[in-house]
Amino acid sequence: MAREKILKGIAVSRGIARGTVFVYETERIEVFQTPIHPVYLDDESARFERALDKTKRELVNIQERINQEIGQDFAQFLDAQILMLDDDAINKEVKKRIIEKKKNAEFVFHQVMNEYAEKLGASKDTYLKERVADIWDVGTRVLRNLLGLTHSSVVDIPEGSIIAAHDISPSEAALINPKTTLGIATEVGGRTSHTAITARALEIPAVLGIAGLMDKIKNGEKVIIDGDRGILVKNPKAGRIHFYENAKKKDQELQKELSPYCEMPSRTRDGRHIDISANIEFFSEYTHAKKYGAEGIGLFRTEFLYLTRRGTPTEEEQYRVYNALAARMKPNPVIIRTYDLGGDKIFSDYHEANPFLGWRAIRVCMDDLDFFKSQLRAILRASVNKNVKIMFPMISTYEEIKRVNLIFGKVKKELHEKNIPFDEDIQFGIMVETPSAAIMSSHLAHQVDFFSIGSNDLTQYTLAVDRGNEKISQLFDHFHPAVLNLIKRVIDSGHESHIWVGLCGELAADPIAIPLLIGLGIDELSMNPSSIPRAKMVLRAITIAQCEGIAETVLGFRTALEVKKYLRRQLSSILPNIDKVIP
Amino acid sequence: MIMIKETIVIKNENGLHALPASRFVKLADTYSSNVSITKDGIEVNGKSIMGILTLACEKGSKVILKCEGRDEKEAMKALRLILEGQD
Repeated sequence: MAREKILKGIAVSRGIARGTVFVYETERIEVFQTPIHPVYLDDESARFERALDKTKRELVNIQERINQEIGQDFAQFLDAQILMLDDDAINKEVKKRIIEKKKNAEFVFHQVMNEYAEKLGASKDTYLKERVADIWDVGTRVLRNLLGLTHSSVVDIPEGSIIAAHDISPSEAALINPKTTLGIATEVGGRTSHTAITARALEIPAVLGIAGLMDKIKNGEKVIIDGDRGILVKNPKAGRIHFYENAKKKDQELQKELSPYCEMPSRTRDGRHIDISANIEFFSEYTHAKKYGAEGIGLFRTEFLYLTRRGTPTEEEQYRVYNALAARMKPNPVIIRTYDLGGDKIFSDYHEANPFLGWRAIRVCMDDLDFFKSQLRAILRASVNKNVKIMFPMISTYEEIKRVNLIFGKVKKELHEKNIPFDEDIQFGIMVETPSAAIMSSHLAHQVDFFSIGSNDLTQYTLAVDRGNEKISQLFDHFHPAVLNLIKRVIDSGHESHIWVGLCGELAADPIAIPLLIGLGIDELSMNPSSIPRAKMVLRAITIAQCEGIAETVLGFRTALEVKKYLRRQLSSILPNIDKVIP
Repeated sequence: MIMIKETIVIKNENGLHALPASRFVKLADTYSSNVSITKDGIEVNGKSIMGILTLACEKGSKVILKCEGRDEKEAMKALRLILEGQD
């Protein structure tokens, strides 16, 4: 019996899968040089044409698939590849050289592509340099078709497979079939790679970035992918299989029990409506938000636009994504948060000792106004859908809001002058995630239309705990009374100024926190789409009077432990089967 | 037939990268005129995506756009907007 082995990677798509390894390899293509007899030169050109046609049909099919399954905005990268196939300059050059050199199409085509790739690779511009990957993605496809090689494709893999690969190219990732593919593991790639986006869109468990995967794994081996913990278990022991089968069964039963709640209105037992919305990171996740019954997008993180393409997106690219999301969610609201990027993400040579206390989010944007304004314009243009709200992260001072508001006003004026339409009544809000903003919230409330409490950062800054630091992560607790008192203060300040207050941190999805937050007066809870049914289940079981009583008691506690014990007890008495749905 | 040419400064934030280049080529293809872009003395066919990409037009670089044919005026008017990032 082979030994069990655990490989660690990055958890990018949740869920558990047990299956058989299918090693997906993009084998190297050997291009041979053969002389062609003059009589057959025309045939050689014709063969090249057929290979181009076949490749084009393949790419168009892939593009249609992406359009349907993930969304148009993700299929655009294929436009350039398809145009490369249509490119007359290449086409003519290849045919000319076939005749001149009397050589086979593979050799000539490879040579021509190589020349283009070299020119592009020599560019100083990193973005253009990276297009070399596109040239080879499409070039390799043509060569395979010329050589009559069958694609080692992820399309036709046996049922019950776990794909293991060094990397999966974007055009190939789009072909992953959820009927046969139970899980995905790769050596490279992270949360923002195409493979990760595809896996989440198809709800296939995936662990990426597993170092040395291809040396450690073989075709046909039995493995478990744990997309929650980010691990791959090779040759799992009977006990481990049992554990995961159990976990999977429980998860399925839970989903079954909770699924009716997706469709139900988010109201307390005594009829108070609370907005339950979804936090999403990628455009394609709007389908999950809808599926799980979100009433809107409470937080659309925009960083992916920057990170997936490793560079500044144009205003047009940003606009297309925001507009598509707003149009698909209409009439439900979409809150777009401006870039929450650390300086280190934008400038590869920039490092600082304390990134969380450093140059990030609104602070970076305010120092790069061209970049910031292009995002504001894109959001404003998308606001013609009448359901867009804008939100600014990491606000820590009153002056900051004044300055942001000034710039926002300028951008609106510029759009007016150009007769570009937008929603004049667009709501302008801030994330309250620094203690300074929470403490000063009664003043900040006069300047904005809403607050959204970012409880993760608020906890980290209030308790002075970096939760990424394993030595002290046990000190990170969003139930700490210091955090809860600040949350109460923010909600009260908001309501005094007649603005609504939401919460979009992990606290919002915690079942025992929901009665407390409602008792404190929260108007909106925004969470991961898959947590929504459970939140509705809790919400529909409680009354405002119960919640207010709970909140009052909690505010008298001194420790996070007291708070949690009490909340758990209270929720169990209201919902006796709650233990089943709390992990 | 006369040929028209104009010097244009690339205003796209990322230069003439894959998406605007794709749009440029698709649009150029709808005109019967010959279209070319010249940068640093190198001239490429404006209907060739590979040609345009290899020019590596970064933001702020100067290029000469040439259109020659029956619909050259319309082509010039529409195509320069893409180069200027205003389409």
